[in-house]
Amino acid sequence: MLGSWIAAALRSATPLLVVMVGETLTQRTGVINLGIEGEMLMGACCGFAAAVITGNPLLGLLAGAAAGAALSTVHAGLVLGARANQISCGLAVWMIGLGLTSYFGRTYVGGQVSPILPIGAYLPNAPAFVRGALDQITATAPFAIVLAIAAGVWLYRTRTGLNWRTVGESAEVARALGIRPTWVRFQSIVLGGLLAGLGGAILSVDYTQTWAQDITKGKGLVAVGLVIVARWNPYLAIPVALLFGLSETSVLKLQAGGMAISPSLLATLPYLFAIGVVVFAQAQGRRNAAMPADLTAIFRTR
Amino acid sequence: MRRDLVDPIRFAPILVMAIVFLLVAMAFFVSIGKPPVRTLLDMVLFAAGDAYSLSETLVKTAPILLCALATIVPARLGLVSVGAEGQLFVGAIFGTAVVLAFPNTPAAILLPSMLLAGMIGGALWGFIPGILRGRLDANETIVTLLLNYVGVLLVNALVFGPWKDPRNLGWPATVSFPLAATLSGFFGTRAHLGLVFGILAAIGFGVLFAISRWGRELAVLKGNAKVGQMIGLSFGRQAMLVMSLGGALGGLAGICEVAAIQGRLQPGISVGYGLTGFLVAWLSGHNPVVAIVVSVLIGGLIAAGDSLQLYAKVPAASAIILQGLLFATALAVGGLAQRWKAARG
Repeated sequence: MLGSWIAAALRSATPLLVVMVGETLTQRTGVINLGIEGEMLMGACCGFAAAVITGNPLLGLLAGAAAGAALSTVHAGLVLGARANQISCGLAVWMIGLGLTSYFGRTYVGGQVSPILPIGAYLPNAPAFVRGALDQITATAPFAIVLAIAAGVWLYRTRTGLNWRTVGESAEVARALGIRPTWVRFQSIVLGGLLAGLGGAILSVDYTQTWAQDITKGKGLVAVGLVIVARWNPYLAIPVALLFGLSETSVLKLQAGGMAISPSLLATLPYLFAIGVVVFAQAQGRRNAAMPADLTAIFRTR
Repeated sequence: MRRDLVDPIRFAPILVMAIVFLLVAMAFFVSIGKPPVRTLLDMVLFAAGDAYSLSETLVKTAPILLCALATIVPARLGLVSVGAEGQLFVGAIFGTAVVLAFPNTPAAILLPSMLLAGMIGGALWGFIPGILRGRLDANETIVTLLLNYVGVLLVNALVFGPWKDPRNLGWPATVSFPLAATLSGFFGTRAHLGLVFGILAAIGFGVLFAISRWGRELAVLKGNAKVGQMIGLSFGRQAMLVMSLGGALGGLAGICEVAAIQGRLQPGISVGYGLTGFLVAWLSGHNPVVAIVVSVLIGGLIAAGDSLQLYAKVPAASAIILQGLLFATALAVGGLAQRWKAARG
């Protein structure tokens, strides 16, 4: 019972965690990208379409990642090339992604993908107490966790990771050290877009196995908020994403359990949860310590 | 930050912006297999070709202008609110509640109380991120973005649940509003009082920002909150005030859509007017009076998108794509103009 809850929470948290890792790395170099909502949609739509056309869900995930990265170059161009306001650029990218996927995704509504098999299918001899969990989750879940850990190791333990963090704290100091801040930020935006697209594709191809207009329903925006909660730390993104996944799972379980509450009302809970933790994290006043210094100029509008 | 709002460099490249956007739009039409010049001309005709098209443009202008103002008022304090969409939906809920509770009240009482309730609902939806920002320093952009989804879901919860009219045969909507709660259109068109409210509010806030002490207080706090606090101004209190005022305008947009266009509360009362309002607010440099003109232009774009869907079988999503492309074009041209100006000293 508990195992099935954790597995369900993990399943629901997986797309979000992948997106969060990408946005964490982007924000670490001092760039905020609200456009990951649109990049996630591009990933979900193109990934689903590719999976339907090729019949191969893994190709779908790859196509989704590529689509997210492609759209993120728009954000990179506007933010780095034209030095335009990052919040506005993100919203513009979101609009483009929402419009394009609504437009070109119409033909794939109701399409069928061949699912990614659960891990349990590959481990027929797994012990009984993990059986239930392994039959629920696919390889994307452990992949997301490994990805978050790898991002943390890379960010805190490698030379390039240090370079990225330096750019986020002070582009000027980085420049003095011979690092090219704009190039680093370009890489971080595109990597963030790639992971947002991958997260979107995991959502449509693996988790829901459907495509519908605006399928992400703000998950990318939630990810931007939860990155603050996780204090720009890829390791902390794991428990934060899991908590959000748990809030989503509880809603589904309450519905399935026949709760006499409107499903729309229940569906507000994950958003309220996300708002709650963002407010709590910021009220703690820790953000000034953990926030990349170059990001504060963009984030704090006063 | 403040300077670039009033700097003429923002207005000089408008021509460049327009030309680039037209090229981008034509490229988009080519990519979806439509004749570019023809489609573009069609759009202009559909937006302003005759009295009917023009009236439909003004129908779209009303919520866009109010949502733009819902963004502009907080922006004068430096707050980035993207919450007009949610405020629109919650305003619609509050206004509808009054109509459902007192359906037999004469129009002279029902209409104003309905509109007031709509504004209160929107104001509440703006006050929440306002107090969270003002008291707890929580980022208003994230909170408003997420509250939008909650507002939409609350409408769904009501019209699929307790407020659903059983005679609708499963269609999720309230009963039709009585005549006393209907904002009728002008001269037999669908253009309604919401547009007048928007224009009055735009002029009113434009004057307030330009000449009142309050407008100057906001400008001081936006420029430097510490200086503002030193001369006795409260950022937190102003944050709650501007967010609530902006929210009230977003709420007004919502109840006007319900009472004038839809005739009852149902899902889909907005086609992304909140985000469109943010675009308009940005394009008009957060100047309320300029926002009137820009709202008409963007209203025309959306009305033309509706007609294209009807007559040229171009899906409605193309209007969202065009808005996104317009936003990106404006950001690119505006940003580059800024850079060139800085480089030339």
